[in-house]
Amino acid sequence: MNRSEVFMDGFWHNNTIFVQLLGMCPLLGVTTSAENGFWMGAATVLVLLGSNLVVSMVRGVIPKNVRIPAYITIIAAFVTVVDMGMNAWMHDMYLVLGLFIPLIVVNCAILGRAEAFASKNSVIDSAADAIGVGAGFTFALMLLGGVREILGQGELFGFPVFGDSYPDVLMFILPPGAFIALGFILAGVNMINRSLERRKTLYAKQQAEQAAVAAAVEAN
Amino acid sequence: MKFEKDQLQMVLALFLVAVIAAALLGVTDMFTREPIAMAQKAALHRALEQVLPAYANDPQNDEVEVGSDNEEVVHIYPGKDEKGKLTGIAWEVVAPDGYSGSIRILLGLHPDGSIEAIRVTDHRETPGLGDGIVKNVAWLASFAGKSLLGTAWAVKKDGGDFDQFTGATITPRAVVKAVRRGLEFYQARHQAILDAIGKADGRKLGMQGGKQ
Repeated sequence: MNRSEVFMDGFWHNNTIFVQLLGMCPLLGVTTSAENGFWMGAATVLVLLGSNLVVSMVRGVIPKNVRIPAYITIIAAFVTVVDMGMNAWMHDMYLVLGLFIPLIVVNCAILGRAEAFASKNSVIDSAADAIGVGAGFTFALMLLGGVREILGQGELFGFPVFGDSYPDVLMFILPPGAFIALGFILAGVNMINRSLERRKTLYAKQQAEQAAVAAAVEAN
Repeated sequence: MKFEKDQLQMVLALFLVAVIAAALLGVTDMFTREPIAMAQKAALHRALEQVLPAYANDPQNDEVEVGSDNEEVVHIYPGKDEKGKLTGIAWEVVAPDGYSGSIRILLGLHPDGSIEAIRVTDHRETPGLGDGIVKNVAWLASFAGKSLLGTAWAVKKDGGDFDQFTGATITPRAVVKAVRRGLEFYQARHQAILDAIGKADGRKLGMQGGKQ
């Protein structure tokens, strides 16, 4: 795989949320608005980038038997760095996201990338993987946060969409709304993927037919 | 016990990872300690502006400490007008029984013990549910003007005067309880608080006198 394929694989084809359904805890917890989703995603990207880079650098040095505690220590260190940094320079958002920032440590998607990708690939490929997976995760959180914010509060990024008279729809503010919205989003993603797949097979078929016609012309 | 070579390697690898992680955290702490303190001070400043009646001094500068019944030190932030007359006082009360962990609340009172306003300064409540104690402006405003006497200090579900939130009763219940405890503290200790503020004033005047 070249680097853009690595990126697209992380961003779309193997999207942490849409395809692997990992990292559901922050997904359902903080996506009450698009802004919360974005910053939660941004914090995750930073941790993922740091852990992927370091894990890739020390690959081959860490003995196989102790790789998991070593990875977790690396991840926990980066989570604490992001936690302190947000506390210092983004104090308000730090208060909003609260507990979910330290909980990035146990986001299995991050340990998953360290184990499945960074420990076997070069530093630059691992960075591309981290940015792709992280961007896909952020995109998913923002999309779900945006849908819930629009349906729940009639706003997007804090700006009214349906006017001031829109009543709060508690269902979408609460976790059940996250599950329902996520279900519809997953259905939409599957529809897009299927139509892409169909177009691809159709294209392959046309190519084959053209080749056959060309071959027949040649034979004559 | 024989110490195998690969065992040594494992210990060494984990040791090194831990050392590097610790160093990274140490450096980060060095860079963030001051900005965090400043951000907290700025956040407290914004909160004080919201909970104290109009004032002209720097309440964080005029902070005094008063002991409470359980021998904790309470930091009191007094608001004063241009002439140095006390307009209100604020301090932080803690609700230890929030839905997830403690809730810190800044409580602002008039000198007569009635509430000017309250603001939540730190909490770990569920986004979208319990965080109404931060976002629900009408609910926060319902504390204004209330005193210890003449108010039923409980949520409506428990027969009190304060709304609970849909899907979240524990959080507002904890806040109401903590505010009530704060008012009881003021009732019991307001002489000590006023004395401490007066003494701090006297000290400052004395210092100014000494300079002249």
